[in-house]
Amino acid sequence: MDILRFITAGNIDDGKSTLIGRLLFDTGNLKQDVSDSIVNIETNNANLAFITDGLRSEREQGITIDVAYKYFYTSERKYIIIDAPGHLQYTKNLVTGASGADAMIILIDACNGVTEQTRRHALIASFLSIRNIVVAINKMDAVNYEETVFNTIKKNFQNTADSLLLDSVIYVPISALIGDNVFVNSDKIAWYSGDTIMHYLNKFQPPLMPDNIFRFPVQIVSFSNGMYICLGTVVSGIVSVGDVVEISPEKGKAKVINITIGFFDSETAKAGDFACLYLSTINPVEVGDVISHAIDLPICSHEIEAKICWLEETPLNTEMDYYLQINSKDTLCRISIIKHKINPESFHEEDNKTQVSINEFAKVTITTNDMMSFDPFSLIPSTGRAILINTETFYTCAAVIIE
Amino acid sequence: MNHLNTLEREAIHIFREVAWQFTKPVILFSGGKDSTVLVHLARKAFYPIGMPFSLLHIDTGHNFPEALSFRDKLVKQFNLKLTINSVQEAITAGTVVDVGGKIPSRNVLQSHTLMKAILTNGFDACIGGGRRDEEKARAKERIFSIRDKNGGWQPYNQRPELWNIYNGMIHEGENVRVFPISNWSELDVWQYVLREDIELPSLYYAHERQCIRYNGKLLAVSEYINIDDTDKIITANVRYRTVGDMTCTAAIESTAKTNEGVIEEIINATVSERGQTRLDDNISDAGMEDRKMKGYF
Ligand SMILES: Nc1nc2c(ncn2[C@@H]2O[C@H](COP(=O)(O)OP(=O)(O)O)[C@@H](O)[C@H]2O)c(=O)[nH]1
Repeated sequence: MDILRFITAGNIDDGKSTLIGRLLFDTGNLKQDVSDSIVNIETNNANLAFITDGLRSEREQGITIDVAYKYFYTSERKYIIIDAPGHLQYTKNLVTGASGADAMIILIDACNGVTEQTRRHALIASFLSIRNIVVAINKMDAVNYEETVFNTIKKNFQNTADSLLLDSVIYVPISALIGDNVFVNSDKIAWYSGDTIMHYLNKFQPPLMPDNIFRFPVQIVSFSNGMYICLGTVVSGIVSVGDVVEISPEKGKAKVINITIGFFDSETAKAGDFACLYLSTINPVEVGDVISHAIDLPICSHEIEAKICWLEETPLNTEMDYYLQINSKDTLCRISIIKHKINPESFHEEDNKTQVSINEFAKVTITTNDMMSFDPFSLIPSTGRAILINTETFYTCAAVIIE
Repeated sequence: MNHLNTLEREAIHIFREVAWQFTKPVILFSGGKDSTVLVHLARKAFYPIGMPFSLLHIDTGHNFPEALSFRDKLVKQFNLKLTINSVQEAITAGTVVDVGGKIPSRNVLQSHTLMKAILTNGFDACIGGGRRDEEKARAKERIFSIRDKNGGWQPYNQRPELWNIYNGMIHEGENVRVFPISNWSELDVWQYVLREDIELPSLYYAHERQCIRYNGKLLAVSEYINIDDTDKIITANVRYRTVGDMTCTAAIESTAKTNEGVIEEIINATVSERGQTRLDDNISDAGMEDRKMKGYF
């Protein structure tokens, strides 16, 4: 059994909460007391949407504002549902949710078709490189299960996907309310030869951690018996006792004397292992350093080219200092150049170099005080992403994807 | 059990982030299964250098004796440091008032004692065993949850939290609640307890106990509740799914004496963990949200 995390993205009233409720219900993951608490006593209708809307004002307004997490199991795996808001003004919450997702379900109301927000969801999937995408065209019951409605929306979304280079998008016509094609195939949609939402979720694989290039960002260091004892997680590749490794940025060599994983010694540590490396070196190792092999070092530089999504109300200011945090290292920095903004409608790069505001995407150059070690996100995701922090409010003001 | 490895890796990463980002972090320890799992994870995360955290117990004075003796044994066994702050002291000093009544719950009173412990000891991060599957307000809380000077949670303007990069920067007086096992379910916890052979208080396994029925739930007979003629004391075979105060945690009928037995029981249960065993969450729909905004764990 493994874990798959998926996010549901949809406009308000597209039926996102109903779909999540449906998945929990049909997979037998709702306990009796929880089902009881969502049944409206007056109408005796189960409001599947109430399962997920957690905060009071959200329940009162009947909308989702922040990300909520829900869990269910099938015989194959544990699922983590990331329920995030759809409205443009909450893009920052959607980015928070989507950053942890292995897959995305984009919900479209068959009565409305592709909207501005649908295109925004696709843009976020592309920004964060989410590879597993299902477009669920919902409320098919409200359009008489018409094939033409489905095909028009599919064609429309595929244009968006093409311009964002999203490949292998899957389209499923569903009714979350009735349950068609969510957990069981629907005979009312005989013209559809594909599978159910659940089927595709079961087939998706979480992205594998790269296994060729070794990376170990150091989280904790302690010095004892002439060795640096370094705690961290191997995010890529493999390391063995006896290896000569390199400490970045530009700190020289070290020898791996011993490795422990948990309470036990190990000859090697591979991607995904939380490990402890015992390093013998004359160069002090510090929190935030990245350990690698000499043949494929991370980039060590004061200049970082990146795509960002701005998340704070206060717009980006190129005259202001920010903190940049990559794994366990932070440094003061400036966003020295805004190269392009990405038009959220056309997805074109615009030469508009004026301010970047909340929920906007841009390409920038970041200049850091300390030399940083990193990789392109496309090569090693864990060492290729970062956050920017406002030095006064300490708010996390941008998601950073290193190019 | 691949999913347990993933959850364990995620939790250990979080513990280590806390260690470098804060000056005086502490683990909130109740003697319950979730906080006991936290201690195990922390020991594993910092082996061989030793965990840089002490434990903080907010002692309501209504504890199960089994939880207290378990706490003391654990502290000794792993050579940990424990700070105890007592709700009774605050009541005696007149800072907070006991609610009284038949079943006098001190649950909400804990927030005051917790804040005092944070202020006097200078704890800047409190690591708790809260899980998102327990309750709807918890389901929305970040892993690093920023609390204001009064310990209050501001649910409508939480910081974005991206990937596994945690932003623990805070202003003077603020503190952070950290939830490393946010994404674990009750079942995950038990499967992990089984796999790692983690010792828990005997309360979690079936035993004989004198109880009364209160609002349909089984409540242990103790000196902290007021029993009258209308109560019928019964001896039942029970265990606990959660362990809080003797006054607000209900027992369930059970014959599960082993970890395997408990796991089977959870898989077949028809009622959720808190729904079955907590007397204090049902108060209102927004019960937990209200308490968190006022400084609750
Ligand atoms: N006809 C029809 N109505 C649906 C379907 N799914 C959801 N709805 C209704 O659409 C409305 C909004 O659904 P909800 O799940 O709250 O949407 P959310 O805002 O995306 O979470 C509710 O009245 C639902 O009952 C569906 O498949 N068919």
